[in-house]
Amino acid sequence: MPAARMISVVVADDQSSMRSLIRHGLSQIGFTDIREAPDGDSALKALVTRPAHLVLSDLNMPILDGLGLLKTVRETESLKKMAFIMLTGSGDRETVQRAIQLGVNNYVVKPFTVANLKERIEAVLGRLQ
Amino acid sequence: MSSPRHAGASGAAERRIHVVQGEYHVTGEDGVMLTTILGSCVAACLHDPVAQVGGINHFLLPDGDAGANGSRGLQYGVHAMELLVNGILQRGGRKERMEAKLFGGARLAMNLPDIGRRNAEFASDFLRREGISHRGGSLGGGGARRIQYWPRTGRARQATMVEAGRELALKEIRVVAPPVDMGAVELF
Repeated sequence: MPAARMISVVVADDQSSMRSLIRHGLSQIGFTDIREAPDGDSALKALVTRPAHLVLSDLNMPILDGLGLLKTVRETESLKKMAFIMLTGSGDRETVQRAIQLGVNNYVVKPFTVANLKERIEAVLGRLQ
Repeated sequence: MSSPRHAGASGAAERRIHVVQGEYHVTGEDGVMLTTILGSCVAACLHDPVAQVGGINHFLLPDGDAGANGSRGLQYGVHAMELLVNGILQRGGRKERMEAKLFGGARLAMNLPDIGRRNAEFASDFLRREGISHRGGSLGGGGARRIQYWPRTGRARQATMVEAGRELALKEIRVVAPPVDMGAVELF
């Protein structure tokens, strides 16, 4: 049973309000090592500098979007085993299919609760303590 | 949402789309007017003057129960704003060009928590945090409002709903705007 505080997370979302909300939710679950990125490219740079155990990424972002980030992560030897959860809208079914093809581990449909988020993370990483 | 056609000021058919609570609508279509009716809810009217695309949302609460076992709707306001912003981005808009007007956030009952103020504060704070230009609107007060918004131009019109006996009468008021370069914004 992994301890949330031992898991490093990178949150990629172009809206700072959403990043803050996700950070708040992750903190409530018990995560402490949380980094934020405003786009896929910044997230990638953060991951290359210091890999994370988990990436939570929005789909629609400037410069490099969520699918582009996922594809690059899966193609990069040092990052490809990282857990990757996509944050999607309810109307993004085709994009979710594409994300599954690219190797996404799970996805969370917005708006979501902290309980939803925890459930999706635990489905990937195992029950958290 | 409904979309009856009415004659606009120019005589051309104008399509009205009513945006209800919890919904949003984005369009770059000419001859479309978006409407909504607000109490303590807030509607953000967002527009990119270059891409000539815009839209409005209508949210009930700034946020939900953020507890670990919270009910659905953790981020009503954030989610509503994100959908609106993304909808405009997907139609060629750019965030740095967006102009916003905020309406609603009234306190309809003094014996209940002031959700309207929280909604208004959330929406204003959201624009500040996201770097979106706040070009005016009308927040607070004690009455309901009807909003009309033309998303291609960013023109907005507000009517307050005042009680006259048992009937609600519409009263047009001027939209309060900050003392900045208003560009093409029309005031009523």
